[in-house]
Amino acid sequence: MTGRTLAIAIAVEARKAAASRVLVSTAVLLCTGVAAISASAMVAARSGNEQLAAKLGPLALAGGWPGLLAVAAQVTAAAGLLAFGVGLSWLYAREFTDGTITGLFGLPVTRPTIALAKLIVYLVWTLAVAGLLTVTVAVTAVTVTGELPDAAARIGLARLLALAGMTALLPVPAAWAATIGRGLLPAIATTVALLAVTQIVVVAGGVGGWFPPAAPALWAVLPGTVSPAQLLLTATVPVGFGLLTLHAWRRLQLDR
Amino acid sequence: MSAARIQARGLTRDFGGGAGVYGIDLEVAPGEIHALVGLNGAGKTTLMRLLLGMLRPDAGTVLLNGRPPDPAVWSRVGHLVETPFAYGELDGRTNLTLAARLHGVAAPEAARMVHSVLTELNLNRYATVRARRLSLGNRQRLGLAAALQHDPEIIVLDEPTNALDPAGVILLREALVRRAAAGAGVLVSSHHLDEVARVAHRITVINGGRVIGALDPHGIDIERSFFALVHADDERAARGPTDEPRRVA
Repeated sequence: MTGRTLAIAIAVEARKAAASRVLVSTAVLLCTGVAAISASAMVAARSGNEQLAAKLGPLALAGGWPGLLAVAAQVTAAAGLLAFGVGLSWLYAREFTDGTITGLFGLPVTRPTIALAKLIVYLVWTLAVAGLLTVTVAVTAVTVTGELPDAAARIGLARLLALAGMTALLPVPAAWAATIGRGLLPAIATTVALLAVTQIVVVAGGVGGWFPPAAPALWAVLPGTVSPAQLLLTATVPVGFGLLTLHAWRRLQLDR
Repeated sequence: MSAARIQARGLTRDFGGGAGVYGIDLEVAPGEIHALVGLNGAGKTTLMRLLLGMLRPDAGTVLLNGRPPDPAVWSRVGHLVETPFAYGELDGRTNLTLAARLHGVAAPEAARMVHSVLTELNLNRYATVRARRLSLGNRQRLGLAAALQHDPEIIVLDEPTNALDPAGVILLREALVRRAAAGAGVLVSSHHLDEVARVAHRITVINGGRVIGALDPHGIDIERSFFALVHADDERAARGPTDEPRRVA
């Protein structure tokens, strides 16, 4: 892998991603979905829906910016993992399902280089989505509350942006699963399994902060319960599975 | 004498249950079009995948331009195995540009190449059409263009006439003859003796994962000779294993 071949691979993958309906529609669905659920939850809580209020917790009951941001964080932790997982799964799995993987052999740009380029393009896409999501939620909050964000709300928005960014790091195992399973289904299944386990750990509480995929969600929803060390540990998921994915692409054979 | 464009020695990959290729020796010289002919399941695609690094052999070696494949060698290879390298959401020109870039071609040079191959394979009217909207045959043409546009020295095409109309077959045949005349080594496979196999300098017959003989491209009834070779090999296999490996030099 050289700087030149990586630059070529990034340019190629970026061009493919820019034309992708999957990435655009996933981004739009996530941003509008989180905003819509947050806004409607606030409206429902204000109207005295006790069941919903119980589910959303005390912060949501507070209403206003703090309430809306609390709901947005909860929804982003789960929906973000699913949406980013779908995007990442497609980026890798489509080469197998479309049959274009044969064209990625026998090139001076090696397969690990292409796999790394996909990961880099994915991260750039998630950063853009995280930014868009934060802006969408902010605009929604202004519309629903009729107030501009105060200092605490601005910190809450920054926290939401950070949560979306960290959530994007979590579905990397899906890229590895797409490669090992040679398709979309194993990757999506891995994303859903990761989401389910993470949600169970978050709800269970306790040592949840030490479970890397759960740390960002716990940090966003219950600040103070997760230490910086636990948050840093989250990085082991993308780094570990990123390296596994590169290795799988290096050793890849079209033998099934 | 310059090295063979493709040289395979004792290539073996056993998938179990009788599927695979066994001890294949094969050579493609510079300037040569070498056709690999065999019935469905004979092992043509497996052999090509081994040559292109899509499979690792259980035994045997592959040399391209006289050395084990490395990135510098791969930049001189063009191939189409099974699926055309075309992304449905991208138009013809973009697909070709990306393919050229992945072969290490600089951006300005890639634009010139794409323009040239679009004309050569009569694809200009599809340059701005998304690949998913193309017919199967035009998608195949696009895949062939991606494999040939950078004027590779080593060309490996698996059943390249699949889905092509007669005009496409003639364009492909001419494109291959041109590149072979310029020094490329071309390996094409076919399950029947199609128009491309008929312009080959050499025709090797593969059956049951082994090379079983060669056909004279200028022979009078090569179709009959092909089936006679395959039939004789099937009968030999039915009688049981022999000590003699079924290879030709």
